[in-house]
Parts: sequence; structure tokens; C-alpha cells
Amino acid sequence: MTERYDIVVIGAGHNGLTAATLLAEKGRRVLVVEARDTVGGLAAGAEFHPGYRHAGILDDTRLVRPWVVDELGLDRFGLRRREPTDLLVPETGGQGLVLATTVKGSEGLSANDAESLAGYQAFLDRIAPGFAGLLDRPPIDLVDTGAGDLLRLGLAGLRLRRLGRHDLMEFLRVVPMPVADWLGEWFASDLLKAALAGPAIYSTYSGPRSPGTNANLLFSAARSEDPVAGGAPALIGAIERAARARGVEIRTGVAVTRLVIEAGRVRGIELAGGECVATGSVAASCDPRQLFLDLLPPAALALSLEAELLSFRTRGTAAKVHLALSGYPQFSSRPGRLFEQVRTGEALDELERAFDAAKYRRFSERPVLDIRFPSIETPELAPDGHHVASILVSFAPYELAGGWTESAREGLYRAVLAVLDEYAPGIERLIVGREVLTPADLAERYRLSQGHLFHGEHALDQLLIRPTPQCSKYATPLAGLYLCGSGSHPGGGLTCAPGALAAQAIRSNDM
Amino acid sequence: MTAIRKSGRYDAVIVGGGHNGLVCAAYLARAGRKVLVLERRHVLGGAAVTEELYPGFQFSVCSYVVSLFRPSIIRELELARHGLEIIPLETAFTPRLGDRGLCRWSDPARTRREISRFSPRDAEIHPEFSLAMTKMARYVRNLIDSPAPDPTSWNPVELWRLLRLGRELQRQGSDGVAMHLRLLTMSAVDFLDRWFESEVLKAPMSVSGIIGTFLGVRSPGTAYVLLHHYMGEIDGAFRSWGYSKGGTGGVSLACARAAESFGAEIRTESAVERIRVAAGRATGVVLANGDEIEAGTIVSSCDPRLTFLGLVGSKHLDGDFVRQIERYKLRGSSGKVNLAVDRLPRFPGREGSDFLRGDIAIAPGIDYLERAYDQAKYGEFSERPYINAVIPSIMDPSVAPPGQHVISMFVQYAPYDIKEGADNWPAKREAFGDAVVDTLAEYCPGLKESILYRQVLTPWDMEQEFGLSEGNIFHGELSLEQLLFQRPAAGWARYRTPIRNLWMCGSGTHPGGGLMGAPGQLAAQAMLNSNGKPSSG
Amino acid sequence: MPLPSPFHSRTSARCRSLLWKDWAGYHAVRSYRSCHEPEYFALRHAAGLIDVTPLFKYEVRGPDAAAFLAHVTVRDITRLSVGRVTYLCWCDGEGKVVDDGTVARLDEEHFRVTAAEPTLSWFERRTRGYRVTIEDSTPRLGALALQGPNSREILRRTTDADIDALKFFRVAQARLDGVEVFISRTGYTGDLGYEIWVEAAGSLTGAERVYDALEDAGRSFGLLPAGLDAMDVTRVEAGFIMNGVDYFSAHHCLTEMRKSSPYELGLGWTVKLERDPFVGQAALEREKRAGSRRAFVGLDVSWADLERVFAGYGLPPELSSTAWRDGRPVYDHDGRWIGQATSGAWSPTLKKNLALAQLESAFATPGEAVEIELTAEYRRHRIAATVIRAPFFNPPRKRA
Repeated sequence: MTERYDIVVIGAGHNGLTAATLLAEKGRRVLVVEARDTVGGLAAGAEFHPGYRHAGILDDTRLVRPWVVDELGLDRFGLRRREPTDLLVPETGGQGLVLATTVKGSEGLSANDAESLAGYQAFLDRIAPGFAGLLDRPPIDLVDTGAGDLLRLGLAGLRLRRLGRHDLMEFLRVVPMPVADWLGEWFASDLLKAALAGPAIYSTYSGPRSPGTNANLLFSAARSEDPVAGGAPALIGAIERAARARGVEIRTGVAVTRLVIEAGRVRGIELAGGECVATGSVAASCDPRQLFLDLLPPAALALSLEAELLSFRTRGTAAKVHLALSGYPQFSSRPGRLFEQVRTGEALDELERAFDAAKYRRFSERPVLDIRFPSIETPELAPDGHHVASILVSFAPYELAGGWTESAREGLYRAVLAVLDEYAPGIERLIVGREVLTPADLAERYRLSQGHLFHGEHALDQLLIRPTPQCSKYATPLAGLYLCGSGSHPGGGLTCAPGALAAQAIRSNDM
Repeated sequence: MTAIRKSGRYDAVIVGGGHNGLVCAAYLARAGRKVLVLERRHVLGGAAVTEELYPGFQFSVCSYVVSLFRPSIIRELELARHGLEIIPLETAFTPRLGDRGLCRWSDPARTRREISRFSPRDAEIHPEFSLAMTKMARYVRNLIDSPAPDPTSWNPVELWRLLRLGRELQRQGSDGVAMHLRLLTMSAVDFLDRWFESEVLKAPMSVSGIIGTFLGVRSPGTAYVLLHHYMGEIDGAFRSWGYSKGGTGGVSLACARAAESFGAEIRTESAVERIRVAAGRATGVVLANGDEIEAGTIVSSCDPRLTFLGLVGSKHLDGDFVRQIERYKLRGSSGKVNLAVDRLPRFPGREGSDFLRGDIAIAPGIDYLERAYDQAKYGEFSERPYINAVIPSIMDPSVAPPGQHVISMFVQYAPYDIKEGADNWPAKREAFGDAVVDTLAEYCPGLKESILYRQVLTPWDMEQEFGLSEGNIFHGELSLEQLLFQRPAAGWARYRTPIRNLWMCGSGTHPGGGLMGAPGQLAAQAMLNSNGKPSSG
Repeated sequence: MPLPSPFHSRTSARCRSLLWKDWAGYHAVRSYRSCHEPEYFALRHAAGLIDVTPLFKYEVRGPDAAAFLAHVTVRDITRLSVGRVTYLCWCDGEGKVVDDGTVARLDEEHFRVTAAEPTLSWFERRTRGYRVTIEDSTPRLGALALQGPNSREILRRTTDADIDALKFFRVAQARLDGVEVFISRTGYTGDLGYEIWVEAAGSLTGAERVYDALEDAGRSFGLLPAGLDAMDVTRVEAGFIMNGVDYFSAHHCLTEMRKSSPYELGLGWTVKLERDPFVGQAALEREKRAGSRRAFVGLDVSWADLERVFAGYGLPPELSSTAWRDGRPVYDHDGRWIGQATSGAWSPTLKKNLALAQLESAFATPGEAVEIELTAEYRRHRIAATVIRAPFFNPPRKRA
């Protein structure tokens, strides 16, 4: 085999494309292979009902890191940010809350909570630079600390120390806390606490009372920017254009069946159909469990690494429901207004109970919903006047007792509908089409271990060491094999940071 | 030690005659200080107390096993000479319905055979697991036996200590570092899942992570306590878990005798009403009967909330500190049920009492434990709780009449904040007691008929009777944000308080609760080493 | 309590000494009479029958069984033909020995592994990607070691198998008093000998019938039931190492220093490096290139020195007749510690005081003079010892 490519990137999701683009310089020949027929992975929009498209399985574009956007030069490829929109937190028999980016613009807060919210956001603003600093740099290898790591650990410490002793103590105190306890220290309103806690538990195996969930809250809060205009598909479009402009070759519809390993080195990849592509380097944006356990010959995998991967937790707990709607539903808390984002859960205990079900391998009787209506910003996603709802449903465990049968899927849909109907009575009459993606469906369609949207749970231990001690800095024990997906630091979501940081690591390894 | 000045009759007055107060008193007295211990109740020991609640039966009312009592304290205070006798636990039995259950023995070969009935794989891995945990425990012991390191301090001594702890950690190799991070952050179940397959083994192992916390076995952060079981092996105290002969009060009494032998004075039925503070300094205590006692130093072994919000009063403290103490989580989650029975309990499938020479865990599965927790989360006691029962009279017949027995049951979950409100616990007390007895009786037919006497302690009772705020047996949750340099409050983890001359020495300080004695010992050392500066630690 | 082996009715009736020990969870006889020497001499001059049931046994079956075993052990098992047995060890990922044992290929897709320690989980953790099943056959298989110069004669008279054709390290299926058994020409005594594997099920069990038949036939050939004490002396003479005595499984070591590689245990000859990846390969390749820290040797401890030391106290040399297994330090001439002797015995056959030792590699050459610690009259001494090759006892009949 002659090497036609310097590096092959597996997976054309947001991280794979980011890594490929950043690697395609100095004449490096980069190929991206994608098993699905479209690029974008979890960020890709798709038609789920004739005439209706959703805007990505992952659709929170506020997480996209600005420095990655700069490195990729995405503004030259059409990426625009836009104003964040208001979030409706509906309430049974009440007006609920409307949360805007500013406390002033928010509605329904008590005077006390409004004041606390200002203090809360000020604290987040103070810790954000230090915290984001940890996440925007390569992981500090706590396990195998070299001189460079020590230096960076020291610098990270200094940056954090710049917070001042008081804030630093507070930071160290709150990171491992249960999100419920921390929010409980700030706020009185159940509705507000539940609304803020939601993102900390989506896709986790945790309820708001689980320690460590606060880290997830800080994660998203400390990195929140303005959303990308046009949503995830626009982001993917921009990165794809950047990639092609740099000469990256992208092949879709080709699945990698195995990696060719010789003497502990990557030599190439084998594609479905038997075609072999020779290359000295492979960057995999697929999930690490699948990469190592499915694409590598078992004997090539060190015993300790295999054990680590097998215990890397990827219990998917979220389902996705897409609805095609003939109109925008009326939320009785705030009738007559259009919200792009609606989040259910009226109290922390409701979230906690929703999680309880997952422990017993059941889906929540009353699931917690994070709903987006991308068709408000992008009317082309649906026919005129029609709308699309994209709903992240918590909790629906991959390991469902009895399995994800057709009736289980229907049961989940009914449970989602019951919650929707409570806040937007009569919504069922608007539904002209739907798609219910259980974790089992997500696992199959997007090749995710146990349907986990982040390629691995966001729990403190798996954020500090991601995915395993041997692979926590993108390189792996196999020469020429790198990780560049959500299974690596700093984790899942539409940040594009793993891809960009992996590209840095690969470049500095001087392929 | 200039901090304890010779003013008034006493150098130091210690509020509370629990084991930590007494240990602290003994160390201070040993160093030549004039010490007075004041205990509110008629007996010494606080939660480490023995009482004859029913004629002929000696009950370890609250704390019922000696776990990590520091061997250095036993040596330095010569507690063996002062009457301390510890009888090591030999077994850990987990009954199961319709089965002989699992008994883990002090003989590893026997344990392996028991485990292999449920999983040969787990039996094979068990020694590997123990070895790995022993490695970890060696490191953790450093943290328990010294004051908490402070990562926010610029003090070169602190930085050096941190560096050394870091280095030592690295010496354990990459696996060791990874394992520490995981132990700190993972749930007990997730951590055990990395090793074992059988719930019969995992469930009783996982519960050590939840004792005294308001967490479930699947809650992150509960893995670390798994290590405690392995600490004894390296402590020099062969098998750390044991009964104190005659009841747990024996530990406290030995500490008291040691303190007295060094000249400390101890008074019972002397409730401290408040700590007198003037111009930011503690000057003495005021007793419930109106007596005032002056001392150069006041040491509180009570929990932080009782100490600062009760005995001191928030008006003497700055608002930020008060806020820290107010948000300090105490949330008691456990109760005690003590029984006097006229015969030995019988567990179908097993003969004799060999397998009862240790503790009995009602922990038949992970889901069972989680369900117990779920009820507590929403303000109910667990109908089918986790129970840790011991029958100390098997190995120590002195605590019950011949042929009769004492059963001491630690029960979780019994949340302090039941949904009816904590004050309504008295109305639910017996229902709770029934649930506990019913649960044990499922595994132990005939239990109910054998009961001569029953004592039920709810968290509310523990608050009333023993002064444990919210009935928290550890003076505050052992959650990550309340450990080490943050126990009980950030910047106040070195036994000092914002009030000059007022110190803390109870379980609400590093390294936390349990019958360890370490806080009392470390607090005394800190006082003796202090140069009198009232700055934060 | 330890379990009875399938031969317990027989061994317990014959064990007059009440000297038992717990061997891997089974009751095992140390010696049938208070003195084990008759059993030793039976093993060397006639025949001995040892209950070796407690060895852990695993049946590895499946189309990839050979490839799997080649992957988890240091030997290229794919090249082992049916009917052959081989001795080997297996390592952890860092190339440190976990255990040693034998592998017999019973048919194309069926292997039997023996191990000193439970190994089911360790093997199973490596099966991903291999079409194999692993069964722990320890509870259902009894095993007897029939060892000694007369063992062939005894078997000839009890089985239908062509015993003369059964070569060294071969295994065959046979009927013994009508009972289906496997017979392998293997053992732990370093002499001519066989091991007999029998299903333990039944009432008057096959195991008991086999035991009785061998004992009956053995009566005219000086057969004695033999215990672990006698076997221990023979295994030292044969230079066989023992897990937990001469080395510690990497799984049980708290420190790196305690672990040993195959090269450091004299098992380098079992390691085949140039082949498909196997567990520990990379580390073993590195060690092979860089050289090992330590080497495994035999020691011939000077009798003259021993006599001299005891004579100093007015005593004749005092030596135990059993093998010892408490480690003893070994020094160079300047008194520098260079390693440890881990077990040893007085060999009544060779009239030598023998020891097995792990020494710094520089001292591994036969003929090298070292010193070993000896405690005489409560005082420590260093006496001369010479490095020699193991096995010490290796009669031609073993392989003939």
C-alpha cells in the first residue's frame, strides 16, 4: 500500500471536521471518512418527516468555542453568531419564568431570586475565565505528570488563584457539589432551580442530588457564548467549507471496518467492501469504546487499556423526539408568544424522580424535556407556518428493562406527549409527524456506545481522565493512532474543542 | 503553648464529653494544662456511650463498633492500661431470602469459598481488589493522621506539604493516581462495577460509602469510604473493626480515665448554655444552672452548627462565616434500633453463631439500597432500609444476661427532615422501629417473639438526646465539599475559629466523624503547637 | 472449611499422622505418617501416589482456543499438537509472571490448563474477539500423581492404554478399572511419572475406583500414598519453582520489586517472542534486549562449611528432613546482598544441600561462589555455596 494520505480522520462530525481542517496545512494530505451518507454526525440536520427537518441531534451551539472558530477561520466561511433567545420555563397553572441573558430581561422572578441570580451570574463570570482556561487547553495529565504538565498545572493553579482566595475556595467547594445543593444555596424558586439544573443532568447518569453534577453546570455556564446563526447545520456547513478550502478530502457512506496495525503502529484503515487506505496516522472522532473494541484486533490492545475502556461509562440516558407541527403550540403559561427554547421541570424533585426511573432501568414516567423550535429562526425547516420541535428527553436508559421494543418506544412518546400537553394543551392536534429516537436508535444510527450523546458520561472522574489514563492526551499507546472526538478532553457537546486540541497534539507529535 | 493562658482556674474548658472531647482533654492535660471537661448528660461518651437501658443489658446506644480509632492515641494515652479492650469483628454476614447468604470471614480462604458460590470470578478478583485498596489506604492514612492540607494558601510550609502529598501520590504510579481520582469522585457502585459482577458481594461492600451520608450507593463521591475497610490492615491495629468490651462507652471511659490520670477534671450533668464572648474573644462558658467558668481557651467538641449558631451566637461572628456554617450540611440520615432479646437470632440456612461474630448487613441488592435512598430523598424513612446489625453479646457476654443478647442496629435511611417536619418524628418513631424490626425479621424468623425491649432512636431523638444537629452522627456530611480544608468551613479547617481562644475538636473538623479520635488528637496538637496567633489556619 | 477431594475417603483413612494442610481450599495430606521419609524414598525408588486435585483446572474450548492460549501465555500454543502437554507461564501486561502451569491439548479445539491459583477471570478478561469458552473444571475433576520408577509398571497393569507408547509430556485417554480417565506423563517430582485425571461424580465414584485400582496394583511395586512434604523435597531436587514460594504472582505484589519476569525465574525457555501479540510481549521484548536484573539459579550449599559452623558450637550439622521455604539472603564475597534463596532441601538421593535462588544476573554463572545465610545456635552465619544448574536430579528414565 502506498500512502496517499498523511492522516485519515474517522468520522465527519463537528470534531472530526475540526481536527481534519486544522491538520490540513503544510501540504498534509487529509482524508475524512464518514460511515453515514452525510457529514455532521450528531450536529447534522435531517429530514425526519417529509418536508420537516430538525437542526441536529445536538443543537446547543452556544458551546462552540470562540478560539476554535478563530483557528478555523469560520467567519470567512459564513459563520455568524446571533443574539441568544429567551427560555420559557412553563408552570402548571402559573406564568412560569422567562429567562433571558440578563436578569433584567427575565420575567417571573421574585425580587430576592432576581438579586440572587445577579450574584450567581457575577460569580460565574468571575470563575469563567479560569475554568474555561482549563477546558480550552490540553488536559493536564494528573496521572502521568511530566515537567510540562507540572508547569501547566502550576499555571492553571495561578490562573485560578487569581480569583482570590475567597473565590478559589468557593470554586473548589462548589465543583464537586450536587447541583441541587448549590442552587439551593442561591435561590428560593423551585422553578428557577429546576430550570438552571436541567443542563447539568441531561445525558448524565445523575439526578440533581448527585454530587459532581455542579461541575456540569459550571461547564456549560462558564463557556456559554452567543449561539450560531442557523444552528448546528450552519456550524457544520461552515466547518465543511473550511475543510474543503484547505484541501481536505471527505468521503461519506464509507464505514471503517478495522484499523490495520503492524508492530504496534497504524498502517492504514480497511473500509467496508474491503478497500484499504494506507496511512501512517489515524485520528478517530468516533467514540473510544467503539474505536478500540470494534475496530482494533483484540490482540493489539493492551490488557490494561481494554479493562479501562470496558469500564468507561457510556450509559445513554437521553432520547430525542422530533415533532412536525402544523403550527406553534400555545404554552398556557405565556400564550401568544413564540419561544425558541422551552424547558420543563418544575422542581428539583421532579428532575430527581425522573432520574430515579433510570436507575431501575425504566424511562421516566414524567420525563424532563428540553425543547427547541429551530423553525422559528430557520423557517425553511418546515412548510410555511409550520414548525419543528426538537426535544431532548430525560431520562430514557439504554438498558431498558424489557428492551426498547416498539411498545416501549410508544410508551416513551406518550409520556413525552403527556408532559407537553400539560403545558401546551391540545398540542397533539398540531402534530403531523414525529420521530422518536431512543438511546438504542441513537446507538445504531449514530454508532454511539449505548447511545451516549457525549461518547461517555460526564462525571467528574471521566472528565478528569478522559477516556482512560493512557489516552487522555489524544495520543494512544498505538503509534499513529489518535483520538479527536467527544470521548476526549474536554468532552461532549458542540464545543469543537476536542477536535481542535487533538489537532494541536497531533501536530506537535510531528507526524 | 501561649494560646492557653493561665487565666482563671482552667487553662482549657472542653465543651462536650464525647470521645473527641475526652481525647483532646487527655492530650492537653498530658502536656500539663489544667483542663475541665463539661458534659451535659449524666454519662460520658456523647455518641460513644454505653447505657443499661434494660436491666442486665448494656447497650452501645449510638456508635456500636470501633472502626478507625487511631492506634497512636491508644499508644500515647495508654488506653489499654486505662481499660480499653477491643474485640475484633470476625465476620460480615449478608443474609439473603431463600439462600444461605454471603458471609465474609477474617480468613480470606473461607471468604473466597463463600464468594465463589455466587461468582468464581469475583472470588478470584477479591484479593486483587484488596491489594489495590490497601495500596490506596496507605496514602489516605497520611491525610487522616495530619491536619488538612490547604491548597489555597501561599504559605511555603503549606505549598511544601501539598507538593509532598502530590509526589507521594505520583510514587504510586499512574494506576494509583487514577484510582485515587476515581475513588474521590465515583460512586461506590460504579467503582465496584470496575471489579466485581455479583450484587451479592457488591451491595454489602457498597454500603460503607453511604454510612452517615445523605447519599445513595450510586451517588458520586461515595467510593472513597470503601478504603476505610482497608485502613486497619496498615494501621498496626490488626483488623480495625471491633467491639469495645462492655460497650462502646468503654472507649470514652478509657479516654476519660487517661485524661484524669493526667489531671484533667471531668464533670457530667453540666450543660453549657453558651460560650461567653467579649470583644471577639472567648473568655469562658456559662452553664445551664447559671454558673460561669472562666478559661484561657474554650474548646468545643460539639458540631459546628451547635457551636457557632447555638453556643456562640451569630451576633459574635461575621456574616460570611455565619453563612458558611448555615449552609454546612448536616442532614442526618440514619437511626438506631437497639433490642434486648431472650435468644440468639436464627438465620435459616446457617447453623450456630460463627457467622454472627461480626456485623450483619441487610443489603440484598443495589436496587434495594437505592430504593431505600429514594424514599429518604422525598422525606420518608425507608420502609425496607439498609440495616447494619451487630450482636456484641456473642463475643462479649458481659453485656447481656447468660443466653440472652443485645442486638444493635444502625439503620439507614431515616432522614431528619421528614416531609411532616422533623418535630413530627416522635409520632413516627414506633412506625420506624416496626419497619426496621419487620425488615430484619424477614431474614430472621422468630425475631419478633424474642424481643424483650426495644429502643428506637430517630435523627430527631439523636439531636435532642445527644446534641447532634439534625441527628447527623458525623457532625456534618462527609461529602467532598465538606472534607479536608473545607471542614467545617473554608479557611477554618485547622481547629481554630474566628473567635480568639475558641477552638474546635469534634467530628465536624478534619478528618471527620466516626469513632476515630483523630479530630480530638489533632486539635490538641494544633493548640499545643500554636503560637497564640488567632489568625485562620 | 477446606473441601474434601474426591479421594478423601481413601486419603483420610490412610493418613495416620493427622498432618493436613489447606491447599487451595482442599484438605491435603502433608505426610501420612509422622515422618515423610518413607514416602520420599517410595517416590524415588518405587512409586508414590499423590492427590493433586487442588491444582486449578480449566477447560478451554473453541475454534480459537489455541490462538487464545497463545495470546494469554508466553508459549506459542498454536504449535502444540493434539496429545501433547507443555509447561509454561503467563504474565500480566508488564511481562511479570502471574502463574505457571501446564497446558494439554486434548483435541483440536480442547485444551486443559492447570494453574496454582484461580485464573478463570484472568483468562476470561482476555477472551474478547476469540471464539472460546472457559470452564473451571476444578470441582469436577480429581487428579492423582503416580510418580516414581515403578509407576509405568503399575499403570500397565491397570489401564488399557499403551503406556509404553506414552512419551514424556504426552497425554492419552484411557480406561482404568473401567473408568474413563486422561493420563498425562507429567509430574512435579522430576522422575518418571504420570498424572491421572478422573471425573469426580458418582457414588462409589470413579475417582475412588481409580485410587483403589492403582493401590492394588501398586502393592507389589512398593507403592505408598505420598503427601506434600515428600513431594516438596522431590520438586526441589527437580528444580521446579513454586508460585507463592519461589516467586509471587504479579497479582499479589504490593511492590514492583516483588514481581518476577519469566527470565528472572529461569522460564525464559518457555517464552516465544517472535509471533502474534501476546500479553506482556512488549515488556518481555524490552527485557530480552536490555537483559534481566536477576536470574534463577540452583545453589549447592557447602557441606564442609555447614559442618564447620556447627562444629564451632560443638554440634553435628542440624538439617531438617523437610524442605524449607522461608527465604534466606544470599551475599557475595564482600557480604553485599545479591539476592535470596527461596526454598531448599537436603537431598537424600544426591547427598547435597540444595537451594533455589534468585540472584543478580552477574552471579548466575554455574561455578560462581556465593554465600548464603545460615542460622546456627540462634546466631547468623554466612556459609559458602556454589551456583549450579537445576534440575539437580534428572534421571534418564524421566524421559525414556
